[in-house]
Amino acid sequence: MAEQTLTQHFGLKDFYKIDEYVKKKGYEAVKKALQMKPEEILEEVKKANLRGRGGAGFPAGVKWGFVPKVDKPKYLCVNADEGEPGTFKDRYIMNHNPHMLLEGIIITSFCVDIHTAFIYIRGEYEVIALRLEEAISDAYKKGFLGKNILGSGFTLDVFIHRGAGAYICGEETALLESLEGKRGNPRLKPPFPASVGLFQSPTVINNVETISNIPQIILNGADWFVDKGLPKDGGTRIFGVSGMVEKPGIYELPIGTSLKDIINKHAGGVKKGKKLKAVIPGGMSAPVLKADEIDLPMDFDSLVNAESMLGSAAIIVIDTGTSMLDVLKAVTKFYSHESCGQCTPCRIGTSWINKIVKRMIEGKGSKKDLDEIVRLASNILGNTLCPLGDAAAMPILSITKKFRKELESHL
Amino acid sequence: MNPEYSAKTRKKIDEIVARYPQKEAAILPLLHITQQEFGFISPDSEKLVAEILGIKPIRVREVVTFYTMLEREPIGKYHIQVCSNLSCTLLGSEKLIDYLKGKLGIKPGETTKDKKFTLTLVECLGACEQAPCMMVNFDYYGNLDKKKIDKILDGLE
Amino acid sequence: MVKIFIDEKPVEAEEGATILKTAEKEGISIPHLCYHSAFPPEGSCRMCLVEIEGLPKLELACSTQVRDGMKVFTHSEKVVEARKGVLEFLLAEHPLDCPICDKAGDCKLQDYYDEYGLFESQFRENKEKREKKDAIGKSLLHDEERCILCRRCVRFLREVTKTQELGVFERGINSRVNIYDLAPIDNNYSGNLAQICPVGAITDKDFRFKTRSWFLKSGESICPLCSRGCSITVEYHPGFYRLNVPRRVYRIKARENQEVNGFWICDLGRYGYSYLNDNRQEKIVLTNMKMRIEPTWESVRAFITEKLNSLNSTGKMSQMAVVLNTWLSNEELFLVHKIFRSDLNVEKIIVVDPPQSEADEFLLTPERSPNRRGAQEIGFDIKPASLKDLAAKADFLLMFGSYIAGPFDSPGFKDALKKTEVKILFTPHAHEMNSLFDIIFPTALIAEKGGSLTNVEGKVQGFTPVFEPPEGSLSEWQILKDLGQTLGINSAFYKEFTTPEAVSNKMKEEIPFFREEK
Repeated sequence: MAEQTLTQHFGLKDFYKIDEYVKKKGYEAVKKALQMKPEEILEEVKKANLRGRGGAGFPAGVKWGFVPKVDKPKYLCVNADEGEPGTFKDRYIMNHNPHMLLEGIIITSFCVDIHTAFIYIRGEYEVIALRLEEAISDAYKKGFLGKNILGSGFTLDVFIHRGAGAYICGEETALLESLEGKRGNPRLKPPFPASVGLFQSPTVINNVETISNIPQIILNGADWFVDKGLPKDGGTRIFGVSGMVEKPGIYELPIGTSLKDIINKHAGGVKKGKKLKAVIPGGMSAPVLKADEIDLPMDFDSLVNAESMLGSAAIIVIDTGTSMLDVLKAVTKFYSHESCGQCTPCRIGTSWINKIVKRMIEGKGSKKDLDEIVRLASNILGNTLCPLGDAAAMPILSITKKFRKELESHL
Repeated sequence: MNPEYSAKTRKKIDEIVARYPQKEAAILPLLHITQQEFGFISPDSEKLVAEILGIKPIRVREVVTFYTMLEREPIGKYHIQVCSNLSCTLLGSEKLIDYLKGKLGIKPGETTKDKKFTLTLVECLGACEQAPCMMVNFDYYGNLDKKKIDKILDGLE
Repeated sequence: MVKIFIDEKPVEAEEGATILKTAEKEGISIPHLCYHSAFPPEGSCRMCLVEIEGLPKLELACSTQVRDGMKVFTHSEKVVEARKGVLEFLLAEHPLDCPICDKAGDCKLQDYYDEYGLFESQFRENKEKREKKDAIGKSLLHDEERCILCRRCVRFLREVTKTQELGVFERGINSRVNIYDLAPIDNNYSGNLAQICPVGAITDKDFRFKTRSWFLKSGESICPLCSRGCSITVEYHPGFYRLNVPRRVYRIKARENQEVNGFWICDLGRYGYSYLNDNRQEKIVLTNMKMRIEPTWESVRAFITEKLNSLNSTGKMSQMAVVLNTWLSNEELFLVHKIFRSDLNVEKIIVVDPPQSEADEFLLTPERSPNRRGAQEIGFDIKPASLKDLAAKADFLLMFGSYIAGPFDSPGFKDALKKTEVKILFTPHAHEMNSLFDIIFPTALIAEKGGSLTNVEGKVQGFTPVFEPPEGSLSEWQILKDLGQTLGINSAFYKEFTTPEAVSNKMKEEIPFFREEK
C-alpha cells in the first residue's frame, strides 16, 4: 500500500500546529528546494507527472513552464474555492495539514520566481481560513515566510483572500477576476493566465491538493512519485466518497485504484440494505456511471475512455431508492444558481432546463420534455465562454441518456 | 444612518488594502469586514467602501449582488444555511428542511419574528462526508437528524 | 499578411487581425451582438461562433486571431446549429415586444432570426419578468426584459465617457443592467447608448413611438452644431407630397469616422436637429414696398447687381457691408472672398458667429459653428465682431445668417440696421428679426447642399446633400456664383461653377491649404 504522505498524520493531535508539523520532517522539503536551482525543481515536477487535482487535470510542471521569464511581478493563486459538489478533500488538507500546503506554496513560488501568493478560499470555509491564517503567522515567525527565507535571499508573502459564495470563482480566470475585486466573470482565453493573469501579470493557479503534493516530490524525487501512481499520472489522490456508503470520507489512494474497490473495500460499500444504482466519479460535473460501469481504474485517461472524467475525484454513490429525477433536479438547480450570467447559452440554457425539470417534479412534464432537455444541453455543450457550461451539460446529458427509461416512468 | 468603522477595524482595513497592488482588489475582504461589523451591507456601507478604495459605489453594488454570501439586508442573529445539494439530498436533507421550516415557522429566505434565526437553502458546503449538513453563521454541523437539530438550536442563545 | 481560407475562398489577412474583422473586409458578414469595433472583444453573446478546421470546438470569430493557413467555415452544419441554438436561447427569454418596440426594423435580433433562425419557439416555461420602462437618465429608457446582456452600454460608459453610470447586478439568469440607485446617466454622450444597443433595451424618448425605422430614408452628412464636424447620418421621412405632409427628420445617428469622431457624436449634435425641421424661411419676402422687385431670384439678383455696380462706379464701396457667419461652406466663403474682397474691394466683411459655449473633454468644441477654420484659411479675420463696425453708416448690407438671434438681438444692431439704406438677408430660418430687412431670401441648410467644411483640427471634409432644399430656396454657393457672374467684373471665372465640386476644385487650385490630403 503506497505511503499516504498527504493524510497519514491527520489523526495526530495538533498536527496542524507548526511545532508538531516540524517534528515529522516538516519544512525539510523547503530547505532542500532552496538549495536547488529553480530549473531543477521544474524538471522534477514535470518528471513527476503531477496532474492538477482541481478538476481539469492539467500537468502542473507544464503549466509552470508556460510562465515567461520576465522581470515583472508574478503571482501564485492557490485555488481553495472547492465548490465542486461532492468535494471536500481540500478542506481536510487545509484543516489538518496546512503547513504542507504552505511548504508547497513556498517551493512553487521559489521555482517560478513568485514573491506574492494568494490563497483564494471559499467564503464558507471561514473557520478553515482562520486556521490557515494562524499557520501563516507561525510560518512567518519561524522564518519560513517573509523576507530572506532561511537566509536564501528568497522573499515570499502569502495572503488569504476569501470568496463570498460563488462556485464559478473556482474557474481559474473567474478566480482572478474575483481576486481583482470584480464580479467573477471568466475571461476569454487566450491570453492564458501564465502570461496575462492576476493584475495583468504572469500567474500560476493551482489547486490546494496539487500544491500540497510538491514537498514530497522534492523530498523523495519524481520517480518515487510516479511509482506511487501511474506512469502518466503520478502520485496518490485523495478520493472523497459521499452519498449512500457506509463510511463516507476521504481516502488517499494511488491513482489507478479501482472505483469499485474504493467504494466497497475502503468506503465500506453501499449502505446496508441499499443497492447501488449509479456513481458520479469526479464531482457533479462528471458524467454519471451506472452500477455495472464502476469496475474501472480511477485515473484521468481511463475515465475519459468511459465517457466520464476524474475531475475532483469526488465520488457520490447513488442507491436504487433515489429517483434519478431528484438527482437531475439537484444538478439543474445547482448550475442555474451558479451560472455567472455572462454568456448566452449558460445563462439562459441552465435556467431553461431548470424550469423544465421543476415542472417535471411538479408532475407537469412529458417525454417530449426529456428530448427538449437533451437538445438544450447539447446546445450549451461546447458553446460557452467557460467550462461551467460543459460542466452543466455533461451530467444532464449522461443522466438523461443512461436513465431515460426511469425518468420517463416519473412523467 | 452613516456607518463608521471602529478604529481597530479601520486599522485592519488599511493593512489589508496595502496588500494589493490595486486597491480595488480589497473589495471582498472589505465587504466581509463590513458585514461582520454591521451585520449586512447597506447602501451607505457601499459608499464607504467605495470611498476607501477610490472607486464608484456602483462597482461595489455590482460585486455585492454577485456573491451569495453578501447580505444586503439585516438577517437574524443566527443564519442557518442548509445544504440542498446532491449528497445531502441523497441522505435526507429535504425532510430536515421541512422540519426546520415547521420548527422555526418560516420559509427559506425568511427570518423569525424575534430576529433570531434566518433560514436559507444553499448549495454544496464542501462537507459531503457529513451529509446532511448545515452551516450556522460559520459553524459546520453534519450528520444531522431531527434530534441533533433540536440540540443545536437549543444551544444557541 | 497571412493567407487564410474563409468558406474555401482564399483571403489575404493582416497578421494579428481577428477572423471577424478579416471577413468583414471581404464583405463576408458573421453575425455578432456583443462585439463592437470600439471595444476589445467581449465573447459573451456567442453568436459569432465559427468552425476552424482542425479544432474540435467552435471558436469565436470576434476574438480569434488569424494564422497562416487557417481554414474557417462560417456556414457549416455545426456553425448553423450553434447559431440557431444561441438565437433560440436569446429569444426564449426575450419579450414579444416587436409590435411596440422602437428598435423594430433596426434590430439585430430580428435580422438574425430572419437570416439564421426561422424556427418555432419551443419555450413552454414562464419568461423572466423585469422592469420595462426605467428612465435611466437624460432621454433614455431601459427595458430589462429586452436586454440580452451584451454589456455594450456598460462598456461604453466605462471606457469612453468613463462615467460608469450603468452596471450589471445579480448573477446568472437574474443578471440585469441598470443604474445605481437613481444616479442616472448624465453625460454628453448618452444618446450613443441607444444607438449601440443591438436590441430595444435602451431606447430614446426622443424617438419613442414617433415612427417606424422602415419608413425612414437616410443620408450622410456632417453635424454643423460645433466645429468638430462629426460624421452623422440623417434619418428622415421624405413626406407625402400629395397629402401635404412635409419632409421630417426623425433622428441623427453617429457615423464612423476614425479621423474625426471615432464612433460617437455628442448629445448636442444628436438631439439638436430641430433646425432641420422647424421654422424655415419658406419664401422670398419683400418688406420694403418702395423697392420695385419681383419675389424671384432673378429680380433680386438684378437689384443687388445694379446696387453693387452703382456703389462701385461711384467709389462708394466703403458704404458696403457684408456680414457672414461660419455656417457657410469653404466654397461659399471662397466665393464671398472672391466677389467682395477681390472683385469689389469691400472692406467691411464681418464674420459673426453664435456665441461660444462650453466644450467637453471629448468632441464638443467651444465654437458653435462648423467652419471657423475654413473662414480663417480662406483669409477672413475671425475676431469677434463689434456692432460699432456696422453702426457706422452703411448704404448697403448683405447678410448671410443662419443664426440671426444672439448677438444681433440688441438695440445697437437694430439701430444700425435702421441707419442702413438697403439691407438684404439670406437665411434658412424664419425669425421675427428677419422683418427688419428689406429682402429676405430663403437658403438651404448644410444637409441640403454640397460643399466642404474645415473642422477645428484643420481637416477638410466634403459633404453631399441628404435631401433637396425647400422649393424656392437656394444654396449660398448658387447665389454667390450667380451674383459673381452677373456683376460683370470677372464673369468668366464664375461661369464654370455649375457644381459645388467645380468651386471646390478652383478653391484648391488657389489656396494650397485645401489641396493637402489630410
